[in-house]
Amino acid sequence: QVLPSSCPRQVRSYYVDWRMLRDVKRRKMAYEYADERLRINAIRKNSILPKELQEVADKEIAALPRDSCPVRIRNRCVLTSRPRGVKRRWRLSRIVFRHFADHAQMSGVQRAMW
Amino acid sequence: KDKDKSAPSKDSTPEGAAERQADGAETPKQQLLDIIGNMKVEVSYRKKLQQLKASENKKQAVNKLEAPPDSEGSVPQGITEDTQRGKPLNPELVKAASAVASSFPRDKKQTESELLAQLRRHEKTTDKQKKGGTINIRNVISEMTVKRQSPEQWGARISGRISLQLGEDGQRIRPSAQSVDSRRSLKVGKRLNIFTKASTEPEHALKTASSPTIWDLEFAKEVAAVTAQPPRNGFEEMIQWTKEGILWEFPIDNEVGMEDDAEFHEHIFLEKHLEGFPKEGPIRHFMELVICGLSKNPYLSVKQKVEHIEWFQKYFEEKKELLQEI
Repeated sequence: QVLPSSCPRQVRSYYVDWRMLRDVKRRKMAYEYADERLRINAIRKNSILPKELQEVADKEIAALPRDSCPVRIRNRCVLTSRPRGVKRRWRLSRIVFRHFADHAQMSGVQRAMW
Repeated sequence: KDKDKSAPSKDSTPEGAAERQADGAETPKQQLLDIIGNMKVEVSYRKKLQQLKASENKKQAVNKLEAPPDSEGSVPQGITEDTQRGKPLNPELVKAASAVASSFPRDKKQTESELLAQLRRHEKTTDKQKKGGTINIRNVISEMTVKRQSPEQWGARISGRISLQLGEDGQRIRPSAQSVDSRRSLKVGKRLNIFTKASTEPEHALKTASSPTIWDLEFAKEVAAVTAQPPRNGFEEMIQWTKEGILWEFPIDNEVGMEDDAEFHEHIFLEKHLEGFPKEGPIRHFMELVICGLSKNPYLSVKQKVEHIEWFQKYFEEKKELLQEI
């Protein structure tokens, strides 16, 4: 990658680890199949339509690829791929968050004192 | 009162027109003029002028004058605007003017003379306009003499011209006139035929023949990377960020990227999309609920909503056999 000399940021061309990559794949699949899943679920979670139709819908949704369900997505830390201790607002694990906050690189974040 | 008077006079004018067509003589005109002359003072000036114009319009239609149609915008300009255009002052106009003047409460002779003067002025201007305005400008310019200047004065003039653009109105006329002069001298004259007109067709053919190759793209990227200088100050940095999309454009437009041209009724009244479904039964009930939910959804575009409904249509059609078993 040819970068202009003005760009001082760190450029990562790889995902941190394979688990992060798999999570990325799952997110993409979930995005693709989101509409279909929504519609089939609308047929399933219904008291108006006949039950046979709902059973068929059940089978259909089970037949979709496994990675397309949003339940399998794990909100990992963006920088370290840590699966636990991740704050949703910053998408960072607690350790990374602390590191940046102490170096005053998090805007609006201050050490609590009261 | 005005309405009553205008109604009978308008009734009389179609009759007058019919009579004119039958007779083809000047007597109905005389009758009209008499009517105009007899019209009382209480009628407002504007109404009178309109009636006069209506009568004269009909006169025009019958007599097939060359004059172009009247301009109605000139009516509010004043009492003295009689907007008929003929070449020399028509005797009819004169008669009409006299009739109008006679009906005025004020000094009849004075009004008549004023009306006639206005007519003459009007015809002068219309004649000028017919001949064309550009010729007049050219005459004006040709009358102006070209001054011989020394190079020092040229420099002063040019700087003066640049500085004068900001300033006073009185001095601005001169530089503009001189520039017009130079413009005229460029276009006038015979063609020397030194340069042949380069044909642009082969260039187009070359471009369309080969789509940009990977090497071209890479080269373009390299050039862009080399020429992209680091920002000299904060403003340039912000410009770069805005181009990349990191910084939003101010004032913030909440609907950037969201170009929903559909009206609100297309979002809410979605029943017309329900035509493919059976009219009774649980499916219809279900789809009506779907539509109710979609109509309340502000986040989807109309296209997406229609696609949603169509998906359901396809799905139910596939399951038709199953449904018929039930």
